[in-house]
Amino acid sequence: MVPGYHRRPMPAAALWPRRPPAARACAVAALAWLLLASGCGRDTSSSGPPAEVPTAASMKIYRHGLDQGPSSLDPAQSANIYANHVAINAYDTLFSYQYLARPYQLKPNLAAGWPEISADLLEYTIHIKQGVHFVDDPAFPDGIGRELTAEDFVYSIKRHFDPATRAQGAWLWQGRIAGLEEWKAAGADHAKEAEGLVALDRYTIRIRLTQPYPQLLDTLTQGYSAIVPREAVAYYGREFAVHPVGSGPFRVVSYDTARIVMDRNPKYRQEPVDIWEEGYDPATQGEFGLERIQGRSPPFIDRLEIHFINESSARWNSFAKGDEVQYVTVPNEQLDRVLATRDPVTFRQEISDRYFGYAGLEAGFVFMAFNLSYPEFGYNPDPERERRNKALRCAIIKAFDWPARNESFYGGIGAVFPGIIVPVVPEFDPDMSRESVTRDVGGARRLLGDNGWNAENLPVLTYGTTATVLNRLMYEQFRAWLKEIGYPPEKVVLKPYATFGDISRAWKESELPWVSKGWGLDYPDAENTLQLFYGPNGSPGSNDANYKNPEYDALFRQAKVMLPSPERTAIYQRLNQMVIDDCVAVTGVTRTRVHLWHKNVIALPDREIVGGFFLKYVDVADVPNGGER
Amino acid sequence: MSVNAASVAPPAATARGRRQTLWSKAAWKFRRDRAGMIGFGIVLVYLVAALGVWFGWWATGWAEVHGGKWSPVSGEYWFGTNLIGQDIYQRSIYSIATAFEVGLVVAVLSTLLGAALGSLAGFFSGRFTDEVVLWLMGVLDSIPFYLLVAAIAFALEGNAYAMHIAMISTFWITTSRLVRGEVIKLKNLEFVEAAHAIGVPEYTIIFRHIVPNTLHILLVQATITFVAAIKSEVILSFLGLGVKDGMSWGLMISESTLEVLAGFFNNFLAASVLMFGLVMAFNMFSDALQDALDPRKVS
Repeated sequence: MVPGYHRRPMPAAALWPRRPPAARACAVAALAWLLLASGCGRDTSSSGPPAEVPTAASMKIYRHGLDQGPSSLDPAQSANIYANHVAINAYDTLFSYQYLARPYQLKPNLAAGWPEISADLLEYTIHIKQGVHFVDDPAFPDGIGRELTAEDFVYSIKRHFDPATRAQGAWLWQGRIAGLEEWKAAGADHAKEAEGLVALDRYTIRIRLTQPYPQLLDTLTQGYSAIVPREAVAYYGREFAVHPVGSGPFRVVSYDTARIVMDRNPKYRQEPVDIWEEGYDPATQGEFGLERIQGRSPPFIDRLEIHFINESSARWNSFAKGDEVQYVTVPNEQLDRVLATRDPVTFRQEISDRYFGYAGLEAGFVFMAFNLSYPEFGYNPDPERERRNKALRCAIIKAFDWPARNESFYGGIGAVFPGIIVPVVPEFDPDMSRESVTRDVGGARRLLGDNGWNAENLPVLTYGTTATVLNRLMYEQFRAWLKEIGYPPEKVVLKPYATFGDISRAWKESELPWVSKGWGLDYPDAENTLQLFYGPNGSPGSNDANYKNPEYDALFRQAKVMLPSPERTAIYQRLNQMVIDDCVAVTGVTRTRVHLWHKNVIALPDREIVGGFFLKYVDVADVPNGGER
Repeated sequence: MSVNAASVAPPAATARGRRQTLWSKAAWKFRRDRAGMIGFGIVLVYLVAALGVWFGWWATGWAEVHGGKWSPVSGEYWFGTNLIGQDIYQRSIYSIATAFEVGLVVAVLSTLLGAALGSLAGFFSGRFTDEVVLWLMGVLDSIPFYLLVAAIAFALEGNAYAMHIAMISTFWITTSRLVRGEVIKLKNLEFVEAAHAIGVPEYTIIFRHIVPNTLHILLVQATITFVAAIKSEVILSFLGLGVKDGMSWGLMISESTLEVLAGFFNNFLAASVLMFGLVMAFNMFSDALQDALDPRKVS
């Protein structure tokens, strides 16, 4: 940042790092200097109150560290938390999660309030806030961002069903919102209406569902549902993927593979924070100084930088250095230096003195599953073989040593749990039997012997994984455990894949008998993990195990249209038990992430649900030559 | 390896007047090279270690996971254990066999390939065969070595011998160039002209009369290739493009990237020291062999 930086809105194209010719760059710099020198640095176009003019020295900058960056900034491509970190901060979503409440709680964001829902749970009427504007951009007439309307939301969701967009988020609403598939089949003409998704007026949206969808509002928190202006999509074409034009708390200034720089959106609506309504808990969050944001309107920082640092050691060094990234998820190899105790997690004194920190369970889990479409391990035309296959799967599950896996790869602080309902969702049952995650080598041997399995007739188990040293060690550990129950090591064959994309494709195409993966929740509801074993979701869907149990499928269909209730929880837990009883998966562990951030950062970082929704509430204290804004 | 010519001059002839050959002179000279003999001895020790692994005498528990995570050096685990409790000592010994297997396969096959193509190019120098071989060598030489090896290994991923193929497809070039030059020199000598005169077929002349006279080059080049293959294997394995099933020093060093930041260096040290020992010893052996077989110094 050059001295004397000012917040005058500039055409975004001028801010974009397209490496203009040197002469043009010099001219721009000279002009900027002249403007600054003559005191013209006042924001005049903002619809909000005039912003102060921070200099480089007084700018509040928060530098966030992430292990990867997004491959696209188009909300239609925000398939992971990295893309979501940008999408939900550059754009607006109708709903969001409360900043501090755990478990996660929904709240209206751009929506003016909670939706009106019809008695049959099929029709949602949502009013949106008035006076919300997109950032100024050359895509708009005169470069002035126009008001965001209900039509923009309708357009943004329809984009997912428009083949021209090649979007990734359609699965959230496919078969759920009435008329979208028909709209797509009729040519995806945005001038035409889709029956179930209409703007009733400038500020009112009506969504009509084909069946109750209790998680609908959760889907409207995600980057996929972020609201984009049609003009910008048309203006930038393919460049829209690197040129966000939104109405979120920040506007993107520059983006490359190393970092993204986002400045405070001066037009962002003034909405004072009530930390108590956001779920503030003084007992667990009191030390983080969060009271300082009470009653103030976010965003509180002038600039947000997100640095993408793949290598964990480099990320840690950047954090520990002090003047680079201000937040880090502690890599496993640093846990000994950071933690005093692991159960419960406490920090060493020198760490507590320098940083804020907390440890929390991820919203997701790591598990392994048999692909039951393989007759060697799963369904088989011969009922007797199918029975023996189940015994084989159960024996392999008994051979798995979860405590050792946790100690080796998750720092010994992961939460091992039975089944597929993860600890962070309300439906989790902490009192479930832990037999399926308890190692029993003798039992496994007996099971194999009783069912006629021996070293000669055991099938070859192809273990596909990405070619990283960590995954290779996981394979070797697994192979060694199987050897202990009599599974010949030469029959546990490693098949390395160059990239996660490659192995993901192999899972989708059912090329591997063994699936080893992690799953991050899209929303805090056990339905999101139970659907991983729902028959119709078989390959290439999310049911990589190709588990097909009519009873499971019927119960799942019954539960997925139910609102949260004890009855639904009971069904969820029955589904969970079925997966355990049928020995479909070796599951699972939820990793504990240890977060650290600098003491001058006022925040409660989170990367679990959606990813990055906390960033607009971040404040930075002790700014040289500056104070609270 | 430079040595004083007067001090190592071989005896002119034995008492019984036995004729001295290039090979006997080279063997005599090699035995006088102390550094070379030390290197050769160390290589033999490594070879014995590798044979023990191949025959299942030791390092059979390299894949077991009975030790705890990052156990320190002890009587039970001489070099400690790794992240999943595997015995680093057994893994580093097992890796010797991997290094020898890769080194031998690559050295032998790339030397054979280099000899065949180099001798053909040399014998038919200036003709179509020579042009094709030179073009192929030029093309392969123009690609940065590790980029090419990585590309081939990547393209053949899933094949257990992808790394071997990748290395052989590049390592033959140097051998081929050397052999080509030697063959161009040899093909004008009288014994080749004599063979032509009595009607010996060309390919018989090449492979029966000329190639045996390049053996000293091939032998030295094979030892150099052996060392290069070991080093390349370690690098490729470190990058995830090398050993698919088994253990190697490259994989151990790769594993150590997860450990050094936590202050655990056993994997890194064990693999590095053993690799350094073998590469250094083989280099000393190779240098001595080169000196011993150099016709300008031996004759």
